Amino acid sequence: MTTETAVWGVGTSLFGKQPQLSAPELTWVAVLEAIDDAGLAGASAIDAVYAGTVFGDPGVAQRALQSIGVTSVPIITIENACASGTTAFHEARLAVESGRYERVLALGIETMTAVFDGAIAPIRSDAEGAQGFAMPSIYGMSATRYVHEFGVTSEQMALVSVKNHRHAVGNPRAQHSRTVTVEQVLASRMIADPLTLYQCCSIADAAAAAIIGPRRSPSHPRDVPIRSSALRSGKLWDQRSSKVWGWDIVAETAALAYEQAGIGPSDVDVFEVHDAFTIGEIVTTEALGLCELGGGGRLVESGHTSIGGPQPVNPSGGLLSRGHPLGATGLAQIAEIVWQLRGEAGARQVDDARVGVVETMGGGAAGVDGNGCVVAVLGRS
Amino acid sequence: MSDRLTLEPPELGPADPRPRLTLVDGVVLASGSRCAACGHAIAVVPPRCPVCGGDTMEGTSFGPGATVFTATILRIPVPGREPPYGLAYIDLDDGPRILVHVIDSASDDDGDGDGVAVLPLRPGGRVHLAGWTEHGDPAVRPSPADREDAP
Repeated sequence: MTTETAVWGVGTSLFGKQPQLSAPELTWVAVLEAIDDAGLAGASAIDAVYAGTVFGDPGVAQRALQSIGVTSVPIITIENACASGTTAFHEARLAVESGRYERVLALGIETMTAVFDGAIAPIRSDAEGAQGFAMPSIYGMSATRYVHEFGVTSEQMALVSVKNHRHAVGNPRAQHSRTVTVEQVLASRMIADPLTLYQCCSIADAAAAAIIGPRRSPSHPRDVPIRSSALRSGKLWDQRSSKVWGWDIVAETAALAYEQAGIGPSDVDVFEVHDAFTIGEIVTTEALGLCELGGGGRLVESGHTSIGGPQPVNPSGGLLSRGHPLGATGLAQIAEIVWQLRGEAGARQVDDARVGVVETMGGGAAGVDGNGCVVAVLGRS
Repeated sequence: MSDRLTLEPPELGPADPRPRLTLVDGVVLASGSRCAACGHAIAVVPPRCPVCGGDTMEGTSFGPGATVFTATILRIPVPGREPPYGLAYIDLDDGPRILVHVIDSASDDDGDGDGVAVLPLRPGGRVHLAGWTEHGDPAVRPSPADREDAP
């Protein structure tokens, strides 16, 4: 017998370059908001913590949590590239579902400006990182392939950036809350051909948190049921792979999550997906089943994924515009879907949102189709 | 400015994870292994095949010919390197997919390494292993007919 689980509460810091704030200061904002949102009496009600971070120092979670009274309980820190936060969420959900813990804090922390002046430096122990293969180049590779194979246009890729910037205007926590035009996106400087600056996420500092527990009652006004979550690492990505890097891991993880939830992609009202680069959202919407292979460019062009369209994608602004503090991103996505499903998303609210999906995938290990991917389905049956 | 091409094998430390090239009778080849059971080709020599689990991985070499799966030009600073530089995933003929640098030394009029252009490659185009960059990365040159600026 497993326990039905729900998100009781969520919280986040602001997103952006915030070198004046420490990891603990960002964490306090996110966790205390989540505790209050969940209706917990205080930090002492938390049974366990799963914390996601990529570049956080060893002990970053214990260092951040002690001053707000989260001590003595198990604290498990997870690194899973860009999926670190959603991996923490997935493990927290499984811990509640299995009865191991009752009230679990899933936390994401990242202070990237403390580590990098510019883009993330490639990992020198990696076969590709050692060649200077920075993250924008892997997405530039995908974009080149999509232009060649499917005729995806520069304008279609730019429209992802235009859409997500427009969405972020309604998000007071976002890093880039301003509109941009297709012309501005394409005129910004080239980063990794054919991707320009406004098609690439910035580095950011932030924390995000969720309290997960057993579903309190079917009519509880704050609980957002977790219908499923799935986690996979990538299979070998090599000469046998006809699809671009990351397509299969998202499709296979989504299939698991949809099956567990008993839904298909057409049942989903709102998505928060991994759009660190514009081509990433195009590839991911295909892999999540919103359209056929190769149709992601036309999908964004059609308005299907805009707020006001049938299935909005990244109403928060996504990684491109809300911001991408790696370990905190997954829980920021969870927070956005919780707000959307409760009808608390303000100016960016998606009408009648009842089922939401979060997808995060991370990479950096050469030879596999992604280090990890999490897909979660939230909402009422 | 792109990297310069060299045929002088670099001294890569034992922990250097990059694909290894060898120079055989003036031809540049990539080192790796092939599974005796299922035929899977890989650019390292693991103790067992990652596809079928077979325990006979026979050391071999691949190339020099290859087909471009996809490519890009990276234009942001990376520690220790000067942008821009061309990168490509190539499928070595009957061999593994590896990441390589792209060097168009055809544009280097006097062969001194200066004036080497960063060259975009098209998926499906033909390239061949040509040596190393001055950083020790495996490098390819495009076949003349497959230059993107070819008529």
